[in-house]
Amino acid sequence: MPKVVVEGIKKTLGGILTLQKINIEAEDRAVSGILGPSGCGKSTLFNIIAGLMRPDRGNVSIGGEVVTGNSGLTSYMRQKDLLLPNLNVLDNVSIPLVLKGMPKKKARLEAERHLGTFGLEGFGNYYPGQLSGGMRQRAALLRTYLFSSGIWLLDEPFASLDAITKRKMHTWLLRVLDQFQPTVLFITHDVDEALYLCDKVYVLSECPTVVKLEVEIPFSRPHHSHTIVDPAYGPLRDAIMDALSI
Amino acid sequence: MRRKLTSIVNGAFPLGFIVLLLVTWEYWVRWKAVQEWILPGPALIARTLADNLPLILKHAQTTLMECLAGFALAIILSFVLAFAMDEVLLLRRALYPLLIASQTVPIISVAPLFIIWFGYGVMPKIIVVILVCFFPIALSLLGGLAAVDREYLELFRSMKATRLDIFRMVKLPLALPSFFSGLKIAASYSVMGAVIGEWLGAKEGLGMYMTIAQRSFQVDRVFAAILIVTALSAALFALVALIERLVIPWNRLTEWRDL
Ligand SMILES: Nc1ncnc2c1ncn2[C@@H]1O[C@H](COP(=O)(O)OP(=O)(O)O)[C@@H](O)[C@H]1O
Ligand SMILES: [Mg+2]
Repeated sequence: MPKVVVEGIKKTLGGILTLQKINIEAEDRAVSGILGPSGCGKSTLFNIIAGLMRPDRGNVSIGGEVVTGNSGLTSYMRQKDLLLPNLNVLDNVSIPLVLKGMPKKKARLEAERHLGTFGLEGFGNYYPGQLSGGMRQRAALLRTYLFSSGIWLLDEPFASLDAITKRKMHTWLLRVLDQFQPTVLFITHDVDEALYLCDKVYVLSECPTVVKLEVEIPFSRPHHSHTIVDPAYGPLRDAIMDALSI
Repeated sequence: MRRKLTSIVNGAFPLGFIVLLLVTWEYWVRWKAVQEWILPGPALIARTLADNLPLILKHAQTTLMECLAGFALAIILSFVLAFAMDEVLLLRRALYPLLIASQTVPIISVAPLFIIWFGYGVMPKIIVVILVCFFPIALSLLGGLAAVDREYLELFRSMKATRLDIFRMVKLPLALPSFFSGLKIAASYSVMGAVIGEWLGAKEGLGMYMTIAQRSFQVDRVFAAILIVTALSAALFALVALIERLVIPWNRLTEWRDL
């Protein structure tokens, strides 16, 4: 199914060469992490993959087909939950279904089936303003899932959460990924988060941005929430840190 | 419970102050034997109000109708203009400075023109109300629309939402809190607008009642009319605040969370 390939992407923003030449391959059903200093153009890259922005040069292809500039093929989630404060959880998460033309009632029923999986059982009628940060992010992820593209672009989804909530979200996310098997691109600036969740990590440089390091993570997505004790952990972490800080 | 008690006590202070003020006023007027046509005491004003209530209320009705009509038209106009200016950048660039500049023209100076053009009926009053209300409403709506986080728009575009979807589902609801704050300001100004319109010449209305009372030095009647004008303004404000609570109850949820 969908393997996402980003090939030779170049993008100039406001006269500044932001993305110089980016090549990324996100394997089917894998989690591909993208690490990089802030302002290097990670979100810009996602906007290009999502088809919201056209690159100056280069291509995005999904499953072998060139789709540069086409929107609506990926599910996009950001650091901000971007839930509408005037709608309850159920109406918020069923927005992608309604936008695709499903009647509201049916969309709500469809969304309701998934509340449990996303840790929102019984909260369907709550407004975003009544939920904790972790719950809001899970609702945002449910909305992402219900767009049902099979490709999830997660842009620092847990960056605004405290350490304890974040850890809970990690174990929970792994279960959800096992269940739905999406192809994931995951932006983060947290090296340990990347090592825990990603099968592969791309480290980006400062502007003009290129891919500085590409590493496979052999021990990622463990089926426990303990500290990873694999002997390769330390060296890999150092290698990524070095690539980030030079 | 404790909070309720505190709010009652807090409310008692301004109330007590007003009572003190009225009592002082009454005694001052009696002690100095101030002429009624210069400054009547609160007791006389209350009696005048009670005696003339049916007549005053009849005039108030006219004023209220002018207010509501002008207010409603101002809201419709604001929506049309704000929508157009938000969707078409060129329009925004062209009209925004004019909108701000128009506020430097004192309404009271142009109102006589409307009397010349439209006569002594309700029409010129409604126009003055529209002019007074339009600016705060349109500006708050435009501000609310412009302040919508760009990321919402990007998210909805990534979900293939149309421009109309985005306006309806995202921009409009997110702009409502700002819109209502403008609406509350406009509601309390609207009565003033109608009264100014009536001052310049009218067949009916509180402004006209005030002018006649003032010309015959019936200051107690002027005060009675002022009381009703104030009550009308406050009632309109309260009505909008109530509607706000009903239309955007979720807006208060975010306030709770921040506590
Ligand atoms: N629409 C835009 N026009 C001009 N500059 C932009 C635009 N969007 C982002 N930028 C700039 O491009 C750079 C990369 O932004 P972004 O992709 O958000 O970085 P990151 O997500 O890696 O922190 C930043 O310096 C940002 O200020
Ligand atoms: Mg970013």
